[in-house]
Amino acid sequence: MRRKWHLVGVAAASAAALVWMVPFAWMALATLRPGVPADIASLTPAGPFRLRNFAEAWHSGNFPLWYLNTLIVCGGILAVQLVTVTAAGYAFARLTFPGRDMLFALFLLQLLLVPPLLIVPNLQTVVSLHLYDRLLGIMAPYFASAFGTFLMRQTFRTIPRDYEEAAMLEGATVPVLIRHVLVPLARPGLAAFAIVSVTAHWNEFLWPLMAVSSPSSQVLTVGLASFASGAEAGSAWGIVAAGTFLVAGPLLLLFLIFQRRFVASFIFSGIK
Amino acid sequence: MEPITRRAALGAALAVPAAAALAGVARAAAPTEIELFFPVSVQGMLANKMRELVDRFNAAHADIKATAVYTGSYDDTNLKTRAAIKAGKPPAAVIMSANFVREYVINDEVDMFDPLIEKAGKTPDAFMDEFWPALKPNAVIGRRVYGIPFQNSTPLLYYNVAAFTEAGLDPDHPPASWADWIAAAKKLAAKMEGGQTQRWGLMFPGTYDYCGWIVSGLTMSNGGQYFNHDYGGEVYYNAPSTLGALTLVDALVNRTKVFPPGVSDANACTSAFFAGHTGMMVLSTGSLSFVRENMKTPYRVAFMPSNLRNAAPIGGASLILPKGNTPERQAAAWTLIGWLTSPEIAGEWSRFTGYFAPRKAAYDLPEMKDYLQQHPDAKVALDQLQYAVPWFDTYNTVAVRKAMEDQVQAILSGKTTPADAVQTAQKNADELLRPYVEQTALKPPA
Repeated sequence: MRRKWHLVGVAAASAAALVWMVPFAWMALATLRPGVPADIASLTPAGPFRLRNFAEAWHSGNFPLWYLNTLIVCGGILAVQLVTVTAAGYAFARLTFPGRDMLFALFLLQLLLVPPLLIVPNLQTVVSLHLYDRLLGIMAPYFASAFGTFLMRQTFRTIPRDYEEAAMLEGATVPVLIRHVLVPLARPGLAAFAIVSVTAHWNEFLWPLMAVSSPSSQVLTVGLASFASGAEAGSAWGIVAAGTFLVAGPLLLLFLIFQRRFVASFIFSGIK
Repeated sequence: MEPITRRAALGAALAVPAAAALAGVARAAAPTEIELFFPVSVQGMLANKMRELVDRFNAAHADIKATAVYTGSYDDTNLKTRAAIKAGKPPAAVIMSANFVREYVINDEVDMFDPLIEKAGKTPDAFMDEFWPALKPNAVIGRRVYGIPFQNSTPLLYYNVAAFTEAGLDPDHPPASWADWIAAAKKLAAKMEGGQTQRWGLMFPGTYDYCGWIVSGLTMSNGGQYFNHDYGGEVYYNAPSTLGALTLVDALVNRTKVFPPGVSDANACTSAFFAGHTGMMVLSTGSLSFVRENMKTPYRVAFMPSNLRNAAPIGGASLILPKGNTPERQAAAWTLIGWLTSPEIAGEWSRFTGYFAPRKAAYDLPEMKDYLQQHPDAKVALDQLQYAVPWFDTYNTVAVRKAMEDQVQAILSGKTTPADAVQTAQKNADELLRPYVEQTALKPPA
């Protein structure tokens, strides 16, 4: 009986996965099809298939530079965030100070704001800090993260205090305690946050478009749009698909490699 | 004594050749650095072409260093320009969707071109006469020049020659009136066995921006104005001419069913047209090059069919000068704008994109004459210009435009009737326009 239900579950999950895969499968096929074929919507086209869309997409822009800039932006944001959300998460989870819960509620309130609302104020701040048109300007508004703080606070609260008390008895200071006791135990939470953060900033379009003007500071999403978007005319699907593949590829690859660990950390941290 | 640090040593080593190099160019002042924000609204390698143009400009102008900054769609470009002006970092020049210029004037965020034109020895009127007259209303606002047209378009009827012949229509005589248009669409629409549509009669994009543009064109060919061309506080969404235009859309989609229901975007239209899944489509003249390159079977283009008069709304973009730049940067931007809109460059950009060149003199050049001879479709687009009407621009343009577009999309999805649609659209638009109207037309004299 249980075996039967197991099979039903696998079948349902496979069906859902299949639906989810359709756009990716179509994109992969479209990258191989030159020109604008009549049956572009087909998932089982007859051909011909060529690789030249990739070459054309690659030469449409400065992909090496865009990769580098995107890596710097995502890596830089994540590095700073890991420090700030750990510290803030610890403060909200363990320290007692007047107005703590009020402050935490205010922090969470930030999650309710739609990002475009903050474009002008953020840009003004970035300009006054002399970070306009620099990669650091793209990163700066994200150095603190309400979501990350919330996630780390919850993660720290699941860790029994016994560990900390034992360490305190040994004479550990708070920084040592966080670094050597709490962070190793909270690693799945940090990993889950890292995935969300990197994916969000890898895919972000509007803010990098606003904060940076020089072609030398362009990131992948903005670069892709420069040859993939077209409001008044149709699209050369193959080149657009190839460009999208170049942008999304690294993330997909990363996910395939670390699949098991990702899933484990999501289950642990309760993000579904 | 302080030991020599590595940085100091390095600085000294670098200083000698740097000083020598500086002495060599001491006579030439540092070039004025300016940036040009530009959107890409049509398909193709336009971003690269624009960068190539600006590189050529820089090579020919040693005292200016211009950077072409790609800024997304027309809407993204608008957003980025606004934010940059507010943050105190205005770009020197922007290629802005021509129907947003009025709002920049209302918000006092752009400088006028008049002093620059006069300094160059022309009167603003004489200067604007060098452009096609239909472009003026979106560029000259309150008798001052705020936009220099750069790339312009009108909607055009594209049709599949083979489908016309197969349906018993004469490809040499495309539909010119609305009655002929519906009749042709009915003949073109073909069903497979089982009732599934194999070929639609007609398609046009119903997505934001495109939708309003085409509906304003239909309204104007129905004799109407659609909006007050001289004052940004009025729209005529519930006028009989607009109701008639929406009734046509409703008839195409819901009554005769020759037009696919729901909202299609421009990509869906071109893909269907290339695949022979629609006999006709309405799309921008800015798509001409893209269609020419990708359509495998013969196609032709024609004027937008008319009901009471021929009319086609202008689309495209103009160059503007955001406020807050130094006189040096503004002078450099003016040089760049003059170069970009010169007949030679405007013509080259037109041949590359399919947009028509806004400057009339571009068409006197031999390479442009050759081009029109080789591409009769581009000639049709040019000929339609005599019937061009201004592009929708009001206070709060995008929101007011959407008030109607939301209703048209509801008609496309069969969720409302034309009669209800025009009333709702007018009510919502009036609400959006009220703050401006109260500050202007309804403000009692002090």
